[in-house]
Amino acid sequence: MTATAGPRPARRPGLARRVLDANLPYQLLAFAVFAGVWEVYAREWGGLLIPSFTETVEATAELLGSAELWRAMWVSNQALVLGFGIAVLAGVPAGILLGRFRLAERLADVYLNILLVTPMAAIIPLLVMSVGFGLASRVILVTIFSIVMIVVNSRTGVRQVDPALIEMARSFGASERQVWTRVLLPGALPAIMTGIRLGLGRAVTGMVIVELLMVSTALGGLILEYRGLFKAPLLYGTIVIILAEALLLISAARWCERKLTRWAGSA
Amino acid sequence: MSALVERRGATAVRRRRLSWRRLPAAPVSLAAGAVLWELIGRVADVPFFPPLTTVLGRLADMVSSGQIIGSLGDSLLNLALGFGISLAAGLAVGVAMGRYRKVEAALGVYVYALLTAPSLVFAPIFFSLLGEGRGSIVAVVVMYTVFIVIINTASAIRTVPGHLVEMARSYGARETQVLLRVILPAAAPMIMAGVRLGVGRAVTGMINGEMFIAVVGLGRIVTQAGGRFDGASVLAVLLVIIAVALGAVALVQAVDRRITRWVPKTTKDGL
Amino acid sequence: MIQIRGLSKSFVGQDGSVVHALRDVDLDIDENEFLTILGPSGCGKTTLLKAVAGLIPWNDGDILIDGSAVRGPGPERSMVFQNFALLPWATVLDNVGFGLRMRGIGRAERDERARALIEMVGLSGFETKRPGELSGGMQQRVGIARALAVEPRVLLMDEPFGAVDEQTRRLLQEELLSIWERRRMTVVFITHSMEEAVLLGDRVVLMSARPGQIAEIVPVPLPRPRSSDVGAIERSSDYVEVTAYLWDRLRDMHTEHRPSKVAG
Ligand SMILES: Nc1ncnc2c1ncn2[C@@H]1O[C@H](COP(=O)(O)OP(=O)(O)O)[C@@H](O)[C@H]1O
Ligand SMILES: [Mg+2]
Repeated sequence: MTATAGPRPARRPGLARRVLDANLPYQLLAFAVFAGVWEVYAREWGGLLIPSFTETVEATAELLGSAELWRAMWVSNQALVLGFGIAVLAGVPAGILLGRFRLAERLADVYLNILLVTPMAAIIPLLVMSVGFGLASRVILVTIFSIVMIVVNSRTGVRQVDPALIEMARSFGASERQVWTRVLLPGALPAIMTGIRLGLGRAVTGMVIVELLMVSTALGGLILEYRGLFKAPLLYGTIVIILAEALLLISAARWCERKLTRWAGSA
Repeated sequence: MSALVERRGATAVRRRRLSWRRLPAAPVSLAAGAVLWELIGRVADVPFFPPLTTVLGRLADMVSSGQIIGSLGDSLLNLALGFGISLAAGLAVGVAMGRYRKVEAALGVYVYALLTAPSLVFAPIFFSLLGEGRGSIVAVVVMYTVFIVIINTASAIRTVPGHLVEMARSYGARETQVLLRVILPAAAPMIMAGVRLGVGRAVTGMINGEMFIAVVGLGRIVTQAGGRFDGASVLAVLLVIIAVALGAVALVQAVDRRITRWVPKTTKDGL
Repeated sequence: MIQIRGLSKSFVGQDGSVVHALRDVDLDIDENEFLTILGPSGCGKTTLLKAVAGLIPWNDGDILIDGSAVRGPGPERSMVFQNFALLPWATVLDNVGFGLRMRGIGRAERDERARALIEMVGLSGFETKRPGELSGGMQQRVGIARALAVEPRVLLMDEPFGAVDEQTRRLLQEELLSIWERRRMTVVFITHSMEEAVLLGDRVVLMSARPGQIAEIVPVPLPRPRSSDVGAIERSSDYVEVTAYLWDRLRDMHTEHRPSKVAG
């Protein structure tokens, strides 16, 4: 957008230019500024509740070496794996059916729209009342958090498959089953994968939220405990670790998504 | 293609389908859901799933005692503050990211990371920074809302067709004129798509923040009622929350329709 | 070979209004004939072709192929689509083999036959590319190869070259002619270009809109084979005359309908 008119010789950009054009230096710079501001703020005005950047880094390292954290990780992630697994196994077929059958979709639409904007956390008390503070309520909440995204995206995926492709398949004598396996499902796959990735993000959110709001065990429990004990660096360290896990999982999902649906980008 | 075999009956079938299509699905579906809720609630007879009538009765009590109105006001204030801040900050950062490659390079990954991260874990941090009060709740709302606004604004600005900008330049438009007269209007539909998503997330942030920092608002009532194992109150407040969420989204959609009236219908669905 | 008797088809729009896409269409198509169908946009050309393909139901009339009524798609017919309708996730090889796969033909034979057709349409070397990596002209070559792979006796083509640029279009026309001259089959070819209709067809079926009807069937008195010297054909007086005549008729149709907008 900065191009100015006039003759200019075409030349291979120099090394300095190429470094400046890459993203990494700017990312590092942004991070350094963030860390520096944090460090100075915490040292000058921090007090007991706000650890400095370096204290947080140290505490994070310390936590990563502690058995307590890994035990909490294990407990939290049980709910994540189970809940998210159920959401995928139930959500993808449900979404596909809604995408194919107009009447079902028209009836379900209003509920999906409500569920998409409703803060699910508000039902946590009901869950606890019905199944207690154990694993079950955490699993159910993770499922509820993630399934809507999966259903909605799978439905959209099936709906957006070009009707001309279905017609084409029919013209070659494809049976209903072949239309499904050769056209509808492959065509919907990118959107389904997107739904699964977004659903995973929400599943992690659900896992953390239920522990923070009601069932204070595992990772969420650690946060509450460190806060109660005014162990600010450990509190911040735990948050860093939770964020890191969320980002790792989501990056992994994004990587899978790219692998499986490379054609969608180029088409 | 079994339809072909009975093609003479095709018109009759279509007519029947048409009458189905004319029936408004949402009210029918909601009514069925309400009946089902009432029945299941009565049959099951468990404290965590009271029948609809019980919940509505409790809601009426809570409204007449003034409990709902006060908390609703607090919640809406949290929502308005958080959403307003997110809108201002999100548009500013988003325009900068969309317009200047270096800003995008510096901030892009972090914005994406924070968009997908579980936002509520930041609540304890806001707690330590801003104390146990409205400030922290508003900060949580911002955390939920601002990143989606940034990302949509940035990509909206970036995808404005270059030929429009060139056209404006060819008529001698200055940089600010290009931004205000061409880029922002052309980017408006996609920016508004981000704002629409943002308002939904803002309501979620408001409730989650209020439940965690249980000092004001509807979220606090939920937490307290949950502590008393009072299922009817939780569901009554949940209904209010859903109404707030749908109302907020509808409001933004109305604004959106005014702003993006020029967009042809077919492309609008695609956004 | 193909007999269309009193075919009528109407659509009911979203608002309940009725569009008569086809009314009382009678048409006989001979074995191994190259028939082109020409008409203004919205006159029901696609509807007619899809009915013959067995893709849509109709309200009245019959379509017979070799005396038996069309009840759906059949192995003796295959179709080439205006917007190619290629599977974006599948390679060129798999796209060309798609029809064979639907017929339950195993991988080895499918690939062999697909490769032969890929070569025929000049796409050797592109077997593992995906449609997104091909130009429009190349995509339609894939579409043609896919339709030919199932060895149809009737090839149905719906404005197959409408979405490619002029130069590619001319190349594809020549290649289609030369393929058809080597491998005779019945072709029903829809176009909105008078030149294309005359260059390719044995007869041109001229359709008029609202309701969609056959206005006239114009024989094309041009010699075959035509692919060897298209330039000479286009300079011949017969070609010029028939094209001019078709334009006269089409212009009349457009002036008749001027007040009401012609639907796209
Ligand atoms: N699925 C449909 N629903 C409603 N109207 C249709 C449908 N398909 C075609 N039509 C209408 O039928 C008429 C003929 O369409 P078509 O056969 O596609 O014309 P052509 O291919 O000659 O341009 C047009 O007026 C079109 O609007
Ligand atoms: Mg057509």
